[in-house]
Amino acid sequence: MDNEFLPFPAELVDVKALTKDTKLYRIRFADEQKQKSFSFKPGQFVEISVAGFGEAPISITSPPSTTEYFELCIKKVGKLTEKIHRMKKGDIVGIRGPYGNGFSIEQLYGFNPIFIAGGIGLAPLRSLIKEVFAERDKFGNISIFFGARRPGEIIFKDELKEWEKMAEVKITVDTADDGWDGHVGFVSQLVEKANISDNSFAVICGPPAMFEPTVEQLKKKGIEDIQVSVSAERRMKCGIGKCGHCIAGGEVYVCLEGPVFTYDRYQEISKML
Amino acid sequence: MRYLKLGSRNIDEFLGRISNYGDLYAPQKISEKFYDYRKVEDISQVEFNYNRTITPAKKYFIPPKHEMFEFDMETGEYTETMGDVKPFVLFGLHACSIVALRILDGVYLNEYPDKYYAARRKAGIIIGISCLPDEYCFCNLRRTDFVDIGFDLFLHELPDGYLIRVGSERGHEIVDENMDIFEEVSNDDIENFKKFEKKRHEMFKYEGSFDNLRYILELTENSPLWDEESEKCLGCGNCTMTCPTCRCYDVQDLPDIDGKHGKRIRFWDSCQFRSHGLVAGGHNFRETKKDRFINRYVCKNAYFYPLGTSYCVGCGNCTYFCPAGIDFLKNLIKIRDVVGEVAHGEQ
Repeated sequence: MDNEFLPFPAELVDVKALTKDTKLYRIRFADEQKQKSFSFKPGQFVEISVAGFGEAPISITSPPSTTEYFELCIKKVGKLTEKIHRMKKGDIVGIRGPYGNGFSIEQLYGFNPIFIAGGIGLAPLRSLIKEVFAERDKFGNISIFFGARRPGEIIFKDELKEWEKMAEVKITVDTADDGWDGHVGFVSQLVEKANISDNSFAVICGPPAMFEPTVEQLKKKGIEDIQVSVSAERRMKCGIGKCGHCIAGGEVYVCLEGPVFTYDRYQEISKML
Repeated sequence: MRYLKLGSRNIDEFLGRISNYGDLYAPQKISEKFYDYRKVEDISQVEFNYNRTITPAKKYFIPPKHEMFEFDMETGEYTETMGDVKPFVLFGLHACSIVALRILDGVYLNEYPDKYYAARRKAGIIIGISCLPDEYCFCNLRRTDFVDIGFDLFLHELPDGYLIRVGSERGHEIVDENMDIFEEVSNDDIENFKKFEKKRHEMFKYEGSFDNLRYILELTENSPLWDEESEKCLGCGNCTMTCPTCRCYDVQDLPDIDGKHGKRIRFWDSCQFRSHGLVAGGHNFRETKKDRFINRYVCKNAYFYPLGTSYCVGCGNCTYFCPAGIDFLKNLIKIRDVVGEVAHGEQ
């Protein structure tokens, strides 16, 4: 029997700072065969290990069509991610996965996709956004609404600029500083001000606090809860429905059934604590 | 099903024979008040009549603390260190404990089977034994008071020995290889088996069913009971550690003193600990003691769909071992019963 918990050695082939506390890592399995057979869906995550520092689930930010490597966007928040931030190109980490259900791109076919992200929540959405761009003719108008706490915390700045060619891209910050002449406020306000048709499908990823006000605005535009997907936040640990930390209501292992849920299902689950 | 009788005079011989199949573990009296599963060094120490053990049988399949991998901090590589698991015999499990293991199977042997658990489960021979309930037991309300699957052999107490049900291929092998110590079941034995079952049923303190509890809990999340009872809770985690179906664990990398190597270890965790829902960055998904308290009630009363039973098997351990005297069953009954009426069983 394979040991599902065994991390596979993988090399950091490139490291790029996105903000002062967030970096983009390009990673490739040391074993070429393993890299070739590695396939995933946008919204899925891997477990990244650094020997002696532990393991954590991180969403894949690169699109599945990129096969020679995959990318993780990692914010420095704890012991493990601090260690990862000290690592350099050429260093080895352990990877297992992918896990979780991921987003369903087919669900968006024929709709106007709206991507709504808060903070590092843009990272998993980036995988889906790139995939949607690659199949551009299967969708209507594309909108991307992104909120960051401060201008200095805007990740994937260059790409957001580039995406403007193919989509409506709106950015907001909670708190402005000198030199910021863009929108100030929450991402839900961007949704409120936008011209959105009811033939839209929204995908939301970010802090849970942004879900409710955002969905409220979507509802006002005629978008039902089943036309909204969210990526739920939980303390996920093992990623494969064993360790119990992400259980909601005693029944749902968020790492297995989720992390992506339609909003109506998410409401049931979040009530279950 | 195949039935046999083990006469009283052959009981010691039976224990001796089954210990030929692997290290024998059985309930033993470990102090004035407590029993626990321990390795059997002396057959006379095996306890046939006990109510509950201080640690549940899950410890033989998910050890409280065990090594998953060794790692090399220079190469970043993890190596599996689990060797072969030696066969062992677990004697004396009550019906609720056997159902509990089947619940754990559903979690640990799902689409991503846990190799450590699977190996131990495969190596373990399970021999169940009948029991009489005490005031803490409510397995009848959970419909786990009788098992039809999940054991190799199950012993039912008779006045002069045990009626044995054979529950697996391995059970058949054990019986076949030791036919000289078994007898055929007589009509008297059948009558005595029925008498024991009747007596057992009459001894349960409560009657009825808890099938609707999951939903009633969902509807009563604002009950003042949650504030009152969670206030008493010490957050020690005894309830989850002694629970036969609680299965949360945590994992840590422990570097050796040389700073070059180390071990990834896994150990029991509890949803009653503050750290259980705490993520890097400081957010806690179950911030208050009350959140954590309710979580356990919801989790235990949720359904394990493959078996159609709740995750709680009604063993009473969480109440028996609670240092704050929080009575799980009484609280559930309070929640279930109509406000203002005398609680069922409290007359």
